[in-house]
Amino acid sequence: MPKYFLSLFIVVLYTNLHAQVNCNVIEGENCKKACEIYNGSGIQGSKESQENFDRAIALCPSFSDAYMEKSVPFLKRGDFLTWKIWIDKAVELNPKMHLGYRGWCRYQFLRDYNGAIADIEALEKIYPTGYLGYSANGDYELHIAKALCYSATGQKEKAISIIENQLSKKDHNVGLYDHYQLGVTYFETGKYDKALENFEKHSKVDDFAENIYFRSKVSKVRNKDYLDLKTLALKTYDEGKMMKDGYTHHFNKVYRTQMAEL
Amino acid sequence: MKSILYIFFLLPILFSCQAEKTVTVYPNQVGDIVFDKSKDDPAFKRCMNKDYGIQYYNDSKGYQYNGEKIAIIQALDYLKLSSSQQINGSVTIRFLVNCEGKTGLFRVQQMEENYTEAHFDKEFVEKILDFTKSLNGWLPKEYQGHKIDYYQYLTYKIENGKIAEILP
Repeated sequence: MPKYFLSLFIVVLYTNLHAQVNCNVIEGENCKKACEIYNGSGIQGSKESQENFDRAIALCPSFSDAYMEKSVPFLKRGDFLTWKIWIDKAVELNPKMHLGYRGWCRYQFLRDYNGAIADIEALEKIYPTGYLGYSANGDYELHIAKALCYSATGQKEKAISIIENQLSKKDHNVGLYDHYQLGVTYFETGKYDKALENFEKHSKVDDFAENIYFRSKVSKVRNKDYLDLKTLALKTYDEGKMMKDGYTHHFNKVYRTQMAEL
Repeated sequence: MKSILYIFFLLPILFSCQAEKTVTVYPNQVGDIVFDKSKDDPAFKRCMNKDYGIQYYNDSKGYQYNGEKIAIIQALDYLKLSSSQQINGSVTIRFLVNCEGKTGLFRVQQMEENYTEAHFDKEFVEKILDFTKSLNGWLPKEYQGHKIDYYQYLTYKIENGKIAEILP
């Protein structure tokens, strides 16, 4: 039994690691020390780690990473009041570094669409022509994440325009769900040709259940045979190939019962 | 007599020194919930004899509910809960799922849409809490064949007094 609990701790540890900072580039003796404490802070959310972040902040009050990492377990565990206090301090100290993260989390964990848009647009003002970075889970480039927020607030045309614009950039690495999300937004505006075009593009890379389901829906609204695709969507779902996230649920996720009802 | 007087005068200093000792304000893990007899059902038991602070996301499978999240959404839609006030914000309820899939140790956080603490109408929050307590489809998490207790939460996003979304 003790061995089993030891393994359990290893699993918890694995899901609770944070990014390390290169302390050699930090200026000032106290801030270097704070950085080293930060790097060895301990398991995310533990008393030890929270106390270590406090020590790091006391030594170097301008070290924004310490505030950010201190905030993370509060976010993941539903204490959004405390999360906001610490993440706001990180953003205040270093908006370039933390605005995108805060914006993404406001979307992912709270569906605070307007708050997420405000943060991502503030980041765009810092980088007006360039790269904003990716969501914390790596699924979406932040322009695309902003488009999802516009879509969720009913501004479908604006969402389409942002995604199309982003996909047309040569340096954009197409994200896991970019074409799927664009396809769904076209579907919602009744543009079925464009919707299908995007679902088919996606299917060439990764044909997950939701993508197949929407192709089936396009067939249904066009009074074509859709049952084979519906069956394939359900089979694919049962094989575990669907939109998944370890913390939350994806925007435009479709559940098995919804697929079965088509 | 003199020494007694000295002790008398030194006492407040001793106490003030103790008050300045560093007292940790953190639980073993952020979000740990301790049984409170004024709030919690004494019949609810943890299966693991110690609180290991396992979170629903530690196994990367996210939350696991019989019939998936849509089953919770549909059950809530059926109740059509709403507040008599035009409130905006969220109600988050954190709780423990034990190894039998039973739930307990519910804790509520109310938040305005500007991320400050809220005090929404009690009846509405009570109904949300009762709904959360009524959910009986939570699946126990397993690790190496052992069923384990874990912490879960649900956030109800409220727009104009109505529940607009359930998270996570």
